[in-house]
Amino acid sequence: MAGVELRKVAKRFGDIEVVHGIDLVVRHNEFVVLVGPSGCGKSTVLRMIAGLEEITSGEIVIGDKVINELAPKDRDIAMVFQDYALYPHLTVFKNLSFGLEMQKIPAAEIRERVEAAANILNITDFLERKPRQLSGGQRQRVAMGRAIVRRPNVFLFDEPLSNLDAKLRTQMRTEIKKLHETVKTTVIYVTHDQVEAMTLAERIVVMRDGYVRQIGSPDEVYNRPNSIFVAGFIGAPTMNFIACRLTEGPQGLSLTLQDGSALPIPAELAERYGPQKNRDLVLGLRPEVFHQDEAPVVNGSRARIAPTIGVVEPLGSDTLFFFDLAGTEVVVRMPPLVGLRRGDTLPLTIDMGKMHLFDAATEQVL
Amino acid sequence: MAFAIRRKRTRELLLIWFFLAPSLLIFLLYRIIPLLWNGVLSFEFWSPYKPAEFAGLYHYEEMLLYDDVFWQAFWNTAIFMASAPIGILIALLVAILVDTPIRGRNVYRTIVFMSYPVMTVAVGIIWQWLYNEKVGLFNYVLVSLGIVEQGIPFLETASLALPAVIVASIWQVLGFYMIILLTGLQNIQPSLYEAAAIDGANAWMRFRRITLPLLRPSIFLCFVIGIINSFTNFDLIYVMTDGGPSHATELLVTYIYRVAFKLAQFDYAAALTIVNFLFFVFLAWLANRLAGGEVGAVETG
Repeated sequence: MAGVELRKVAKRFGDIEVVHGIDLVVRHNEFVVLVGPSGCGKSTVLRMIAGLEEITSGEIVIGDKVINELAPKDRDIAMVFQDYALYPHLTVFKNLSFGLEMQKIPAAEIRERVEAAANILNITDFLERKPRQLSGGQRQRVAMGRAIVRRPNVFLFDEPLSNLDAKLRTQMRTEIKKLHETVKTTVIYVTHDQVEAMTLAERIVVMRDGYVRQIGSPDEVYNRPNSIFVAGFIGAPTMNFIACRLTEGPQGLSLTLQDGSALPIPAELAERYGPQKNRDLVLGLRPEVFHQDEAPVVNGSRARIAPTIGVVEPLGSDTLFFFDLAGTEVVVRMPPLVGLRRGDTLPLTIDMGKMHLFDAATEQVL
Repeated sequence: MAFAIRRKRTRELLLIWFFLAPSLLIFLLYRIIPLLWNGVLSFEFWSPYKPAEFAGLYHYEEMLLYDDVFWQAFWNTAIFMASAPIGILIALLVAILVDTPIRGRNVYRTIVFMSYPVMTVAVGIIWQWLYNEKVGLFNYVLVSLGIVEQGIPFLETASLALPAVIVASIWQVLGFYMIILLTGLQNIQPSLYEAAAIDGANAWMRFRRITLPLLRPSIFLCFVIGIINSFTNFDLIYVMTDGGPSHATELLVTYIYRVAFKLAQFDYAAALTIVNFLFFVFLAWLANRLAGGEVGAVETG
């Protein structure tokens, strides 16, 4: 049993604090992804857990032991590095066995464990090769193999897929997920790629500027983001943000956009948003809440707009249309609509039940 | 068609030879012909005053069987060469020190490297002063500390002269070794050390199992430079001791010079040169074999 717990963990480099008192509980065998833009402190957190960076203040607990002062080798962790960090002068076998040799494990058992790991990762044929004779994907596997053979309590991944090309990245992503199902262990995985975070994580930790901004399941961070930052960071194409004010008219509550046009607020949300009247707000609409259907507008559940199409980006399965809505560029995701071009009118309904509303000043969700 | 292609090829070949010609000519005039003539000369009795006579292996016999000075110069050269690892070891320690993130590391690096661009003649003169029996720094320190009663004439004592010269030579090349090794050290990805630390390797193990193997190409390069240095260190010896006292610091190069230009025995000097040349070729071959394919151990790309 080994979960990981961070208690008020902070990191300072000289006068600059890059991680500000983070609290996080990773449960036993849980797959947690730390995600955020570069420089948000996610790698630093991981390196503190690994023991490669000193912890300025706070405590890190693995299992039930505070490991602040333990050397990396005594923390019972394994790490996969972004650049793989394979020993270039050693064969794949030796790369895998190096850690076991250091632990003075008998040769027969080393061989057994290396071969078992090689089997899981399909690298049995390369055991006698040097890393430079391997492709990027194979190196990636070896790097994971080196972590597996040690049978650690916690796996740490530091952007392991960012050196691979797009296709291989998708493939390895699936393999990492399978691997976690085969080798049940606690995993902490760092990435800047929100797609990786969404697909791999049981829980996502969204970080920015050294703070944790939101922790939740992929579904939670996607559908219930707590701030403009999280809403904009998770999801591609990114959520549309439109400045607006909440006003009350004869038809009930509605959002007045900057060009004076209005979007209704569904009746079921009236109570929640009612107190925000006459304040500067930001409306958040995901690209997929726009539809072409002709569903009846009941109690303000739908809004109708008819914008003029700007840029069209066909993706095959979907097409992205960009247009101007009250001075803001908006992107919507549609099934591939044949024949629509720049300048055409695209009548749309907006599913207002799936709207997000943020405070323009605090950028927090309302 | 075929004719046109052949004409194009001929033109290309002509062009290639045309551009190669100047350097080939110089190479031929100053390398190949002298070497061949030197070979011929070593099998002759030759003097500026009378026609040459065929001598067979006379000079080689003389050298290998009867010439003690030759053997002394040979072994001195070998010792000089064998001192290269000491220099490399010191340079490695310095490189590791300079590679640690300490304040002012660039200053230290520059200071250590500064000895390298200094003219060898100047190095020789400086060290001659340092070793001086009456006014030298070393003797001043030794006498002041009461370790010795009187100054030691380092360069005039047969048993001390060679080590003294070797120390000066190591000092001179140390900065260059250090730069090569430092580059090698900095080419090792820091994540390798981190991976090894997580794998459970302590500092010594990381040095032995990661640093040393990955530095092998750099160390090998230093070694080659060291060997070449011991064969060509004519100027330093010439300035500091001129091969003395009583051939204690005589190297093959200084001995060849002495025999040819002071004793005017050009035929014998030619034979010495051939042996020197063969010795050098043998070492180059040996070094190449020892490096055996592993020279490119550092991963690229």
